Amino acid sequence: MNLSLHWPRTLASRLSLIFLVGLILAQALSFGAQFYERYESAKSTMLGNLETDVSTSIAILDRLPADERASWLQRLNRPNYGYVLGEGEPGTPMNMQEPPMAVASINEAMNPAYKLTYTDIPGTQKHFQGHLRLSDGNPLTIDVRPTMLPISPWLPAVLLGQLALLIGCTWLAVRIAIRPLTRLAQAVETLDPNAHAVHLDEKGPTEVAYAAKAFNAMQARIAAYLKERMQLLAAISHDLQTPITRMKLRAEFMDESVEKDKLWNDLGEIEHLVREGVAYARSVHGATEATCRTDLDSFLDSLVFDYQDMGKDVQLDGKSATVIDTRPHALRRVLVNLVDNALKFAGAAEMHVQALTNGKLSVKVMDRGPGIAEEELAQVMEPFYRVESSRNRSTGGTGLGLAIAQQLALAIGGSLVLSNRQGGGLCAELTLPKGIAHP
Amino acid sequence: MEHVDHILIVDDDREIRELVGNYLKKNGLRTTVVADGRQMRAFLDSTPVDLIVLDIMMPGDDGLMLCRELRAGKHKSTPILMLTARNDETDRIIGLEMGADDYLTKPFAARELLARINAVLRRTRMLPPNLAVTESGRLIAFGRWRLDTSARHLLDDDGTMVTLSGAEYRLLRVFLDHPQRVLNRDQLLNLTQGRDADLFDRSIDLLVSRLRQRLLDDAREPAYIKTVRSEGYVFSLPVEILGAQT
Repeated sequence: MNLSLHWPRTLASRLSLIFLVGLILAQALSFGAQFYERYESAKSTMLGNLETDVSTSIAILDRLPADERASWLQRLNRPNYGYVLGEGEPGTPMNMQEPPMAVASINEAMNPAYKLTYTDIPGTQKHFQGHLRLSDGNPLTIDVRPTMLPISPWLPAVLLGQLALLIGCTWLAVRIAIRPLTRLAQAVETLDPNAHAVHLDEKGPTEVAYAAKAFNAMQARIAAYLKERMQLLAAISHDLQTPITRMKLRAEFMDESVEKDKLWNDLGEIEHLVREGVAYARSVHGATEATCRTDLDSFLDSLVFDYQDMGKDVQLDGKSATVIDTRPHALRRVLVNLVDNALKFAGAAEMHVQALTNGKLSVKVMDRGPGIAEEELAQVMEPFYRVESSRNRSTGGTGLGLAIAQQLALAIGGSLVLSNRQGGGLCAELTLPKGIAHP
Repeated sequence: MEHVDHILIVDDDREIRELVGNYLKKNGLRTTVVADGRQMRAFLDSTPVDLIVLDIMMPGDDGLMLCRELRAGKHKSTPILMLTARNDETDRIIGLEMGADDYLTKPFAARELLARINAVLRRTRMLPPNLAVTESGRLIAFGRWRLDTSARHLLDDDGTMVTLSGAEYRLLRVFLDHPQRVLNRDQLLNLTQGRDADLFDRSIDLLVSRLRQRLLDDAREPAYIKTVRSEGYVFSLPVEILGAQT
């Protein structure tokens, strides 16, 4: 069965289809039943009338003198049947196995006084004729022209109106049923446990309210788990600092040797990891830092100069001429992480700042390093993810730098997008909310 | 006899304070180690020291509280170096606002601590006594600007933050600590770098021009930093130290 192939994709259209087809069928059934009932009663009345009317008419014609009959015909004619003096039109004898119902009625009325023969008259309007002989021997023909039951002209309009009403109700019902589902789906899609929770409205029909409640509870649970995870990370990182400090101090008392250097490097790595861990935990907790009106150009200039003063190849190009409301330390951390990354993989970083047409600000940090495989671009911003080439700790960091940058970018109302550059290298674009242009 | 600097180390972790103490001792300093604020007060009552290394995270009175207490009492001019376990700007700023002269994040290398101690000692001694501005969260006002010495940025007259690079900040601090006094390139270099860095003379000129840009100072007719031909530079505006942050 290939019904499933044509089954519409959306729940809304499926429900609409079921409702509409069901309602139309039910409507058609009840209309059919009524129509049939009416037809039956009309038929029995009509056939009853036919019986008495035909027998009366024949009796009148029979008793009238032959020359007066023609003048009476007009008065005896009815919309569906009439009388013709004579043999009638030529036709084919009627198949008497399945005679029309009118034939039975006429026979009923005529028996046993008259014997009738029937012929079908072909033509544009098929009809039949009954032939008999009056008592004086003259032939008489009953011409019966069955017609459709008359349909009131307003009936199609009413039917169309009903159809429109059906469609309207279906649409409304489906909409009411689907809307909460769509809202839930949207909420789930935009769910970011790190950002502020989207609280679903817990009102509405019972099932909807239940789903909303369940969703809100799930969200709260996820947030609690995340918070716990972060607290754990922060606690471990923090508590490691004292023993690392002791070890570093002790190492400084050791005699110069290869072993000491190795120990020193290991400690450096642990320390770095711990620091980044704390920074990441804090960045996820949301910024506690107050916002500050900041001159973006001097902010970027000073950052670049700090790098240049350390002998690093970092260049800035473009001017924004904008004052922004931001958390300066968070913003600095985002950019430092991106620049450090560029320096690590390419040895040089280019920064570019510009105001976008939508008023937002774009700060790009670009390098000519190896870039990142397209399929890994999204994953590198996850904590502890390292691209294959940086698995090796000697080149790779903790795998937290970009995750921290990403979290903090969100915390300051911005967004961070990585892409590969034309001609090789990575471009990290930080988009910041609209600032205030200054002269 | 040559003066040997006496360093007081306050840290609740016994190993850390002893290791630090031993390292500094090995490098020619006199050290005393104590575990908490109570012991610190008791020691300071009897013996003056040249510098105090203070851990922030301590049970009981924490480092920030002790720092404020020292600054309010008779030890207000003793340099303080904070040790913080958090690599966090807020901690640094609070520490500096409480009156610390410098800070170091744990875990640190002992030689880094030694370098910082020496830098702080040298800095406090180099400053003329009448202008011994310690980094105590004060705002320094000049012209249309205010310099926030704890967060290390400039604020313009409508409160917008203008960021300075590290070198720019240090140079501006040197000028603000010695206003209306001609400083030659060697002095500037010395005071700015804090050590005898082998930088070209040129870099001071470059730094001055950057700083002028930052202050929106016209290079041809500077209002803030004037060039004194063949001598050096002078910060020509009066400087006012504001007590509290606005």
